[in-house]
Amino acid sequence: MAMAATNRWLQTHLRRSDPVSTTNVDQSLEVATVHAGEHEEEDNRMFGFIVFLLSESVIFLSFFVGYIVYKLSSAEWYPAGFEGLEVREPLINTIVLVSSSFVIYFAERFLHKENLWGFRIFWLLTMAMGSFFLFGQAVEWLHLPFGFKDGLFGGTFYLLTGFHGLHVLTGVLLQGVMLGRSFIPNNYAGGEYGVNATSIFWHFVDVIWIILFILIYVWR
Amino acid sequence: MSNASLEALQPSLQPQPGAPDNWKRFFTFSTDHKVIGIQYIVTAFVFFLFAGLLAMVMRGELLTPEADLVDRTVYNGLFTMHGTLMLFMWTFPMLNGLANYLVPLMIGARDMAFPRLNAAAFWLVPVFGVILTASFFIPGGPSQSGWWAYPPVSLQNPTGNLINGQSMWILAVALSGISSIMGAVNIVTTIFRMRAPGMGWFKMPVFCWTVLAAQLIQLFGLPALTAGAVMLLFDLTVGTSFFNPELGGDPVLYQHFFWFYSHPAVYVIILPIFGVFSEIFPVYSRKPLFGYPVVAVSSLVITGLSGIVWVHHMFASGTPGWMRMLFMFSTMTISVPTGIKVFAWVATVWGGKIRLNTPMLFALGGLIMWVFAGITGIMLASAPFDIHVNNTYFVVGHFHYVIYGAVVMGFYAAIYHWFPKMTGRMYYEGLGKLHFVLTFIGANLNFFPMHPAGLMGMPRRVASYDPEFAFWNVLASLGGFLLGVSTLPFLLNMLSSWARGPEAGDNPWRAIGLEWMVSSPPPHENFDEIPVVVSRPYGYGSDEPLVANASEKE
Amino acid sequence: MFYQRWFKQRWILVVIGLAIADTVLSIWIGQQSYRWVPPQASAESILVDDLFCLMTTVGSLIFFGVVGTLVYSMIFQRSPKYDTSDGPPIEGNLKLEVIWTVIPSIVIVGIAFASYQTYDRMEILGDIGPKSLGMATANAAPMTAEVVKTDPIEVRARQWAWEFYYPEQAVSSTELHLPVNQRANLKLTSEDVLHGFFVPAFRIKQDIIPGREIDFEFTPIREGRYRVRDSDYSGTYFAANQSTVVVESAAAYQDWLAMAAAQSPTPAQNRAYREFQRSRENPNSQGWATVEPAAPPVVNYASSDEESYE
Repeated sequence: MAMAATNRWLQTHLRRSDPVSTTNVDQSLEVATVHAGEHEEEDNRMFGFIVFLLSESVIFLSFFVGYIVYKLSSAEWYPAGFEGLEVREPLINTIVLVSSSFVIYFAERFLHKENLWGFRIFWLLTMAMGSFFLFGQAVEWLHLPFGFKDGLFGGTFYLLTGFHGLHVLTGVLLQGVMLGRSFIPNNYAGGEYGVNATSIFWHFVDVIWIILFILIYVWR
Repeated sequence: MSNASLEALQPSLQPQPGAPDNWKRFFTFSTDHKVIGIQYIVTAFVFFLFAGLLAMVMRGELLTPEADLVDRTVYNGLFTMHGTLMLFMWTFPMLNGLANYLVPLMIGARDMAFPRLNAAAFWLVPVFGVILTASFFIPGGPSQSGWWAYPPVSLQNPTGNLINGQSMWILAVALSGISSIMGAVNIVTTIFRMRAPGMGWFKMPVFCWTVLAAQLIQLFGLPALTAGAVMLLFDLTVGTSFFNPELGGDPVLYQHFFWFYSHPAVYVIILPIFGVFSEIFPVYSRKPLFGYPVVAVSSLVITGLSGIVWVHHMFASGTPGWMRMLFMFSTMTISVPTGIKVFAWVATVWGGKIRLNTPMLFALGGLIMWVFAGITGIMLASAPFDIHVNNTYFVVGHFHYVIYGAVVMGFYAAIYHWFPKMTGRMYYEGLGKLHFVLTFIGANLNFFPMHPAGLMGMPRRVASYDPEFAFWNVLASLGGFLLGVSTLPFLLNMLSSWARGPEAGDNPWRAIGLEWMVSSPPPHENFDEIPVVVSRPYGYGSDEPLVANASEKE
Repeated sequence: MFYQRWFKQRWILVVIGLAIADTVLSIWIGQQSYRWVPPQASAESILVDDLFCLMTTVGSLIFFGVVGTLVYSMIFQRSPKYDTSDGPPIEGNLKLEVIWTVIPSIVIVGIAFASYQTYDRMEILGDIGPKSLGMATANAAPMTAEVVKTDPIEVRARQWAWEFYYPEQAVSSTELHLPVNQRANLKLTSEDVLHGFFVPAFRIKQDIIPGREIDFEFTPIREGRYRVRDSDYSGTYFAANQSTVVVESAAAYQDWLAMAAAQSPTPAQNRAYREFQRSRENPNSQGWATVEPAAPPVVNYASSDEESYE
């Protein structure tokens, strides 16, 4: 008896069974996000990736805040005998890295127009510029007179540039993977989520570097 | 996708995730959100029992004023690991389990947005659980710096080893953070992009709202803790100076990093429980949720406010007066959206046709304890009063009313409520009620006496105390042991009901919601046909149907 | 018709009656709150206790109101066993929702304002920043008439002992002596980790941050012996890191200072150090490695840690 009552209740409360009323319903749809096809799934991944990047940016933000607080509050900021950072080479590095953001944009445009070789050339150029940046960074590290353990400046300097450099390295590796995948026939015929995500990641790494450059090299 | 569509063609071959005859599924890298949900919940509960045992040893130590049962270092390791395990191995995984199981069903999706990422996030949990547990067996024992790991105590490392309790602790917390971020990206994407047709934001069940609000906090808060933990790890292992005052570092900055995440973290924990309350009260009162849109939006308001209140944990720390006052005001504002929810639940229950089934009992008990915790919370937000009770047992009592009173009770409510859906079986009501009575009495007996002890000035984290606090501590210890006992009827109930309980049917509570329209346990990929939602949730007492699809399920 | 109106009025009367009962109960509980805390031994404690009483009263009002309503529903609004009907489909009530948003907001602003005033009147905390920032916030000259200020008593916390140093008399002690009804000025420092200076009877507390000197002040108003506790977790023997504060008349205070100054420094008793030595000698010790406690402080006046307090 209870079962029957429950079923009757379900009929009226959960499911509309007369087909006529469904037409009204279709007009009242607010969102239609079902039937996850290929495209739908790519969009989801892009959405998720952007959410992840936003979250990731908070780590950098925290390090930046730490850097600012330390710089404002410590009495002796630079390690003894150190006058300040050389700006010239890092500036060249910065220009190369920031320009690579435009280069990768053109690579993406080529892919969009299905010009694979144009894509590959510009993509490779981006990789070269990223690698140049990493090389420049390594050279700078090797010639600095202070280490990771030398005071708060040494600590935050290597922490920030190191963590950022890790992201540049990740970006270059991702670009390598995408380049390799461009040789798989028809791989980028449908969507090119991987390429787009790598590109967004690259812009993200660039923006972080600009803030980092201003904080560490420009702000005295 | 091709794989999934193949499977969808042969639904009969897919074992049902909750059925007792295919328990082996739970030990595989399954990508089914329902399997992962149960994996999370069961793993978390195992660690809940373990960390609860640690707490019972602590309560044993605190039966007498002297430090006599265990060595002081052991006691310090116990309270550190109790807190750490309860947060990172119990509450977060448990709530991720509930969210995993329920969100896709509630929004009418076939699975989470990223099933493999989902499985990977879960399988990290046992990894860092093992790391934390293993730290008991290394020289020097586990971390003994409290779950805050405040430097300089956390940097002291008396063993001198590179692998010590503290470094393992940081490693585990970092892995937990990675797992949580993976989960958060997945859940947020799922809620934003995979809702069934017709399910606009204001047709989405409140549980999904609160899960979204909680996961957004993970996304903006956890990275700050990660940043602090990375710097702490370098201080500990490499010898950098970030938080080490001897080398010019600033230990208070760590506190800011830590609490910027760890205060919002309690909203990560409590918000989904608010969601559970919002789901359960309408079902067992047979009334719509009172003021649904406001209750839903207030979750996001809490998310926003939670980001600007962290300094209230530092009212007695190295903070200037203006900062204390600023954060006192911001903290107090959070009680307004919270109050709105409480009043809405009371109004939902009021005038209803109330059924005191076990889930309802736990939800009501949880709500009562939450109201108490909320009131002591406002007191703690008041800086001058907090200065007296800061770092005393008053605070310990307050947050155990939150975490046990509201969260664990809410968890039990959720488990009893959705147990028939998860397993297809009904639990035994009598054992459930016994469980409730033991838990409610035990929790209050354990945690209420902490308030007077704290008001009298008993500091937290002490292995020994002055004899004047003995009375309240004996009571609390008795309550603690009772709480230990209270898990027995629960375990008995769950295990025996899952194996041999009576068939529950698809919707034993006559509840309204997409998850109640599929079979129990739900089939692989949940819905043969994605439902089209036409009404708000909680349409109790009205004749509006929830979905428009004409076809029947079977 | 008449009965309906009478019935409605009766309901209003019942609700008003319950509200009055709730208020009376809450006020009574609020008054009880003074008994839940240690004796009021400082000027600050009176301010804090009044604030606590206010919050207890308001809190009780809310708690019993909400819980009373819930319990009433649980008892009297139960569904009969075989009744499967639903309750009334009330989805909300704008007026009610506005009320329970606005009134709590006002209450909260009131409590926040009262707290602000209390904190403002306590004035316990001086400069708190890291040492290098201190210059920026230090006032040029004291604004009050009381220009001559005694040097603050130095509170030196370490793992795990308290040491109090009176710079003017060059007296060190493991017990803090203070004259009654005079503003006490302390300078809080730590040699190793975070500690917390906490006197429950004074309702005051301040974390001590290594690398900073924190100016801290309050006014003891009641003679007696009270407990000083370490309130911020400081490692293995944290719980044992306690001392005593003695509030006495100005004359007795001066006598004590003179007496202490005359004594030559001797090592004090120290519970952490004693326990550590004992556990080191004990071959069956079950503990893990710990930071070694500092040697007992060598002071002019060494109190026994067994001595009583209120």
